[in-house]
Amino acid sequence: MREISYSEALREAIREEMLKDKNVIMIGEEIGLGYGGVFGVSRGLYDEFGPNQIIDTPIAENSIMGAGIGTALMGMKPILEMMFSDFIAVCFDGVLNQAAKMKFMTAGQYSLNLVIRLPGGEGAGTGPHHSQCLESLFMTIPGIKIVNPSNAYDAKGLLKTCINLGEPVLFFEHKKLYKTKSEVPEEEYSIPLGKGRIVRQGKDLTLVALSYMVNVAIASADELKEKYNIDVEIIDPRTLVPLDIEIIANSVKKTSRLAILEESYLRGGIGAEIGSIICEKYMDYLDSPIKKIASKNVPIPMPASLANEVIPNKDRVVKEIREMFAG
Amino acid sequence: MKKLKYLDIMEKKMKYDEQLLLTFLEKMYLIRRFEQKVYEFAERGLVFGSTHLGIGEEATSVGTIMNLNKDDYMIATHRGHGQELMKGTSVNQMMAEMLGKETGICKGRVGSMHVTDRSVNNLGAQGIIGASFPISIGVGLAIKIKNLDGRILMSFFGDGSTNQGNFYESLNFADIWKVPVLFICVNNLYGMGTHYCRTCNIEVYKKANFFNIASDVADGNDVVEVYEKTAKLVEMVRKERRAALLELRTYRTIGHSAFDKHPYRTKEEIEEWKKLDPIIRVEEKLKAAESEEKIKDVKKKVDELIEQAGKFAMESNYPKFDASMEQ
Repeated sequence: MREISYSEALREAIREEMLKDKNVIMIGEEIGLGYGGVFGVSRGLYDEFGPNQIIDTPIAENSIMGAGIGTALMGMKPILEMMFSDFIAVCFDGVLNQAAKMKFMTAGQYSLNLVIRLPGGEGAGTGPHHSQCLESLFMTIPGIKIVNPSNAYDAKGLLKTCINLGEPVLFFEHKKLYKTKSEVPEEEYSIPLGKGRIVRQGKDLTLVALSYMVNVAIASADELKEKYNIDVEIIDPRTLVPLDIEIIANSVKKTSRLAILEESYLRGGIGAEIGSIICEKYMDYLDSPIKKIASKNVPIPMPASLANEVIPNKDRVVKEIREMFAG
Repeated sequence: MKKLKYLDIMEKKMKYDEQLLLTFLEKMYLIRRFEQKVYEFAERGLVFGSTHLGIGEEATSVGTIMNLNKDDYMIATHRGHGQELMKGTSVNQMMAEMLGKETGICKGRVGSMHVTDRSVNNLGAQGIIGASFPISIGVGLAIKIKNLDGRILMSFFGDGSTNQGNFYESLNFADIWKVPVLFICVNNLYGMGTHYCRTCNIEVYKKANFFNIASDVADGNDVVEVYEKTAKLVEMVRKERRAALLELRTYRTIGHSAFDKHPYRTKEEIEEWKKLDPIIRVEEKLKAAESEEKIKDVKKKVDELIEQAGKFAMESNYPKFDASMEQ
C-alpha cells in the first residue's frame, strides 16, 4: 500500500469532500494564495477550488470563528484553520458560547456542521504561544467533539467523518506529525468517532497516549521491553470526546495497571479525566495507583534544555513506568 | 448627544393610507401588550432568571422587519421579543418560551434571551454582547457564496455592543467581503446603566462610514420614518449586495431587565421620552383621520390574542430532562 504523510492525508480528505460538495469550504489565515497553509495542508487547493471554497482572512480569529458559525448556520460545511492551536484563545467565546451550545439552545433547530482544525504541540522551539496542547481545556464543554489523530491513516479517516458530522468538532493536529507517513489506502474510507485502537499489545501495563505522544509511547514501550522486560500495551483513543472508555477498560482488566501519557498540562488534564473514570468504575482491576505522565504546569519554554524537562519524553516515560513496578 | 426634539406630528402631512397606519399600530401594540404580559408574569415569579423588555422601542422592530421577505434572514438581540414576533414566531410559542414551557419555540430550554425560529429564518439571539457581529458576517458570506439572489440578513444590535472589538472587526469584513447585511442599531441611549456618551465619542452610524459602509440615522420612535429609511437601505443591500447600517434612536421606558429600578436616569428624562411614544404618535395620526373605531377593534383583537397566549403558556407543561441532552 502507498504511504503518504499526515498533511497529505488531511489534504486528500478535504479535497475529496470539496469535490463532492461545494458547501465544504475552508476559512483561515494564509490557507489560500501563497502558503497553502503554514503547514502546507491546503497547498494547491486554492488553485483547484478558488476563492469560494478556500477563503483567506485577515488576522482576525473572532471573524474566522464567526464566519464558520454563520456559514454553518446556513447549511454549509466550513473547515476553519486556526494557524496555531494557541490562537483559539482569541475566539474562545465563539467556541464555548455559540458553536458548542447552538444545538441545545435552539432545541435542535440548528446544529453546526463545523470543523475547527488546530495545529498544536511543541514544535522544537516554537515557544509558549505556539506550542500548546489544549484538548483538556475543551474536554469539559458540552456540545463539541474532540479528535486527535496520531498518524496519517487516522487523520484522513477521522477528518472525512468530521467534515460531514453535522456537529462542531475541534480537530487537534500536531506539528511534529505533519511529515510522518503511514499506509493510507487509495480508496475512500472513514473512521467513526469514539473508537480507539490498540497500537501495541502487551500484558503488564496499559499506556494511553494521544497524538504525537503515541510515538513517544512506542519508543518507551520498546525500551521497557528490551531492557526491563516490562510489556506495555498502548491504547490510542483517537478521540477524546466521545471517548472509547471501553477499549481502555478492557485493557486495564488485562494488565491491572494504567498510565496516561499526554502533552497537555498535568493539572486538570486528560489523565485526570480518564484516570478518574477508571478509578470510579474499574477500581477492582487495579494493582497500583494510576499514573499521569503529562507536561509539567509550566508554559512551554523555547530552548530544548527547558522544553525537554517540561514535556514528556522517552526517558521520563520509561522512568515513571518503571517506578510503577518498583517494590 | 443632542436630545431629540418633539416633532409636531399634527403638522405632518398624512403620506400613508389608513390601512398601513393601522398595520403599524396593530404590530406595535402587539409587541407592547406582549411585553406588558411578560412583565406581569415576571412580577408573579413565573419568569425564571430575567427578561429584557423593549417597552418604548416597538417601532424599531415594526418599521424595519416589515421590509423583509419571509426568506430573508434575521439575527435578534437579547431584548428581541419585538423582532422575533415581527419575523413571524407565533405569540403562543413566544409566550410559552418566556415561561420555560415545553411548547415554547425552543422547547422552553432558553427563555427570553435566546429565541431562535428556523421556520421563519430567525437565526437566534445571543447572550454575549457582540457575538452576533462575526456570525452576521458568516451568514452574509454564505448568502454570497450560495448566490441567494436578493436575500439579505437583517442583524439587530444595541448601542452598547458597538464598543466590542467584534463590531469594528465585522464592519471591516463587511467592507472587504461585500456581504448583503443590513445592520440595525437599536440605540436606546443606554447600555444597561451607562449612557452611550460615556462610552464613545463617535455616533454609531458614523462608525460605519469609516469602513466604507453606507449608513443612516432615524427617529426610532417614528415608525413611518423607520419604515421609509429601512426601505431605502434594504433596497440598496438587495440590489448592490453590500452592507449598510441604520441607527434608530429610541428609548426603553422600562429598566434594562425586569426588576431594574434604573437609578441611572431621571424621571424627567423618562417622561420626556414617554411623550414620544411610538404607539401614541401613530394613534394620533389615525385619530386625525377619524379611525377611532378601527383603533379600538385592532386593540381588542390584540388583547384577546395576548390573553389567549398567556393562558396557553400557563397551561403548558415544563420540559422533562432527557438523557439525550447530554453531549
